[in-house]
Amino acid sequence: MTSAVQHRPLSASDLQAILDVTKALAEPFDLTTMLGEVVAAAKQVLQAERGSVWLYDEPNGELVLEVATGIKPVRVPWQSGLVGACARSRRIINVPDCYADTRFDPSVDKASGYRTHCMLTLPLVDHKNVLVGVMQVLNKIGGVFDADDEALATALAAQCAVALQRVRMTSALIEGEKMRQALEMAREVQMSTLPGTMPTVAGYDVGATFLPADLTGGDTYDVAMLDQGLLVVLGDATGHGIAPALSVTQMQAMLRMAFRLGADLETAYLQLNNRLADTLAADRFITAFIGLLDPRSHQLKFHSGGQGPILRYRAASGDFERFRPTSFPLGAMQIRALRDGVSVTMQPGDILVLVSDGIYEQENADGEPFGETRVTSIVAAHRDESATALLARIVAAVRGFAAGAAQADDMTIVLLKRDAPGLAQTFERRIDAIGAMVAFTDDAFERLAIDTRLRTRVDLAVEELFTNMVKYGRGSRAAVTLGLQAVDGGVEVTLIDRDVEPFDITRAPDVDIGKPIEEREPGGLGLYLVKRLADGVDYDYVPQTRESRTTLRFTVAGLDEGRRGSQGRGSHAVD
Amino acid sequence: MLSIEKGEDGNVVIAGRLDAAEAASAQTFLDRIDGTVTLDCAGLDYISSAGLGVLLKTQKRLLAANGKLRLAGLRPHLLDIFTYSGFDQLFEIDRAS
Repeated sequence: MTSAVQHRPLSASDLQAILDVTKALAEPFDLTTMLGEVVAAAKQVLQAERGSVWLYDEPNGELVLEVATGIKPVRVPWQSGLVGACARSRRIINVPDCYADTRFDPSVDKASGYRTHCMLTLPLVDHKNVLVGVMQVLNKIGGVFDADDEALATALAAQCAVALQRVRMTSALIEGEKMRQALEMAREVQMSTLPGTMPTVAGYDVGATFLPADLTGGDTYDVAMLDQGLLVVLGDATGHGIAPALSVTQMQAMLRMAFRLGADLETAYLQLNNRLADTLAADRFITAFIGLLDPRSHQLKFHSGGQGPILRYRAASGDFERFRPTSFPLGAMQIRALRDGVSVTMQPGDILVLVSDGIYEQENADGEPFGETRVTSIVAAHRDESATALLARIVAAVRGFAAGAAQADDMTIVLLKRDAPGLAQTFERRIDAIGAMVAFTDDAFERLAIDTRLRTRVDLAVEELFTNMVKYGRGSRAAVTLGLQAVDGGVEVTLIDRDVEPFDITRAPDVDIGKPIEEREPGGLGLYLVKRLADGVDYDYVPQTRESRTTLRFTVAGLDEGRRGSQGRGSHAVD
Repeated sequence: MLSIEKGEDGNVVIAGRLDAAEAASAQTFLDRIDGTVTLDCAGLDYISSAGLGVLLKTQKRLLAANGKLRLAGLRPHLLDIFTYSGFDQLFEIDRAS
């Protein structure tokens, strides 16, 4: 307790009075009762006519007179008058004649009709040195307040401050808990509408993820196979809290219902918008991408109410097509005639990238947003990976970028990836990975219906190139990507080695296989074999990314040709 | 996976994939054999240059002690690899089995 003046020690009877008060102050849980108790205690201990407690409203910079017998609540700036002076200095102020003191504000007297003569104003500071408020006791019965009263008041103020703070914090906790429970419930409803599993769509790889912010945001997504096609939705309702969580839930339910009743995309979008315009509060709206894909014709048609940018990675050109919203946000106002949506044809390897603004706008410690470019670079660099792997990469990148900074909004990603003509996977740069590469190749041969007679050659080529990368690319820690693609009459195998010096297999020296055994060494044999067994070898190096790309082609025709060739030459060495 | 073990008739039976990941264990096994040994390759699915290196090292060691490694039962897709690498010239390959 900070008090400028040292007073005499409290007497036993004083202490008894304070202890009685403390006991009384331990009881109440609501603020009104507690304020009543505090004032009653002050009046009793200090023998005053009236008392009042001004609570400090820190966010508003005001002192609020919550209770005073017979006086209505009043708010004053926290610097004003005697209470302000006391709050600022945190010192007791004893004014024997109020009307002689310029700091006294007689307006309260005027409003109440009561006349204040003398007044003791004391700061209520809790044991953590937090200013809780200011207490005033008015008109000492039969005189003015003296030094003893000041000492008593100081001791009393400490008790009152702690008691008041306890009640305030308890009620804040209760309010917070109520809010938390309500939010949690809204969140549960919101989450329950998200699809449990992604539908299996022939020729496509679909992935979606939803990362809720601590406070609810209003994101949602939906991916479902309907009679009309594959429904793809990403929505984001304005604001935070319960309302947006429930708005998007409502939107999703309406949309599913409309489609179930046979609506086409335009009708569903129009009806949804107009229903939301009717039911949402005037200041609320939902941005949403709503699209339908025909997986056979690969036509994707969509409307986007304020949701953007919508990105499509184009495999053929390696760039992104960027679409702006086709309309204003859903529910903002009624639509009578809807403009045409956008139609795109998903080509092999194309990726539709839908990302909520929680990702684009996630800031790092310097306040820089994650932005669109970071998203597109990840997708472009790892385009060959599965939708699930890409989702994980984007999420990891955003988390790494935020580096512990709070997640301000829900984050949602939906990826729709049309299968490329080939398959690819990334492997750790270590010899042990060979087993996983063989398993991947096995699966790829089956899925791409590649002639199994080419297996041994492909396995050998992959192993020889990969072990070479592991042995000689020691400086690099980057993973190695293996891709297989069905080509006419065979398979094309691509190995991508990153963060390495160039190594062009087509220039690797040949091995003299005619040497006698004493002179034969195993070195160089692997790459030599790869060149012999492949029908075509291409090498490409990208200096910017220090990326080495070796492409090999194996065909059944080459297999037969090699067999005939080797048989034709009998058992002699082939050179 | 690779398995390599002594057969009942004194042959060494090798089966599975003799690749870079398995080469060391195969080498350890073959370092302990002596004389003229037949390697039964009927169950061998795959061999890479790392595997060829193991066989080459073993053959050099055995030849120096007047022994040798004979290969039996090699399947056609692996014979290709022996032929292309000239290893069919370094081993006696029993093509009948």
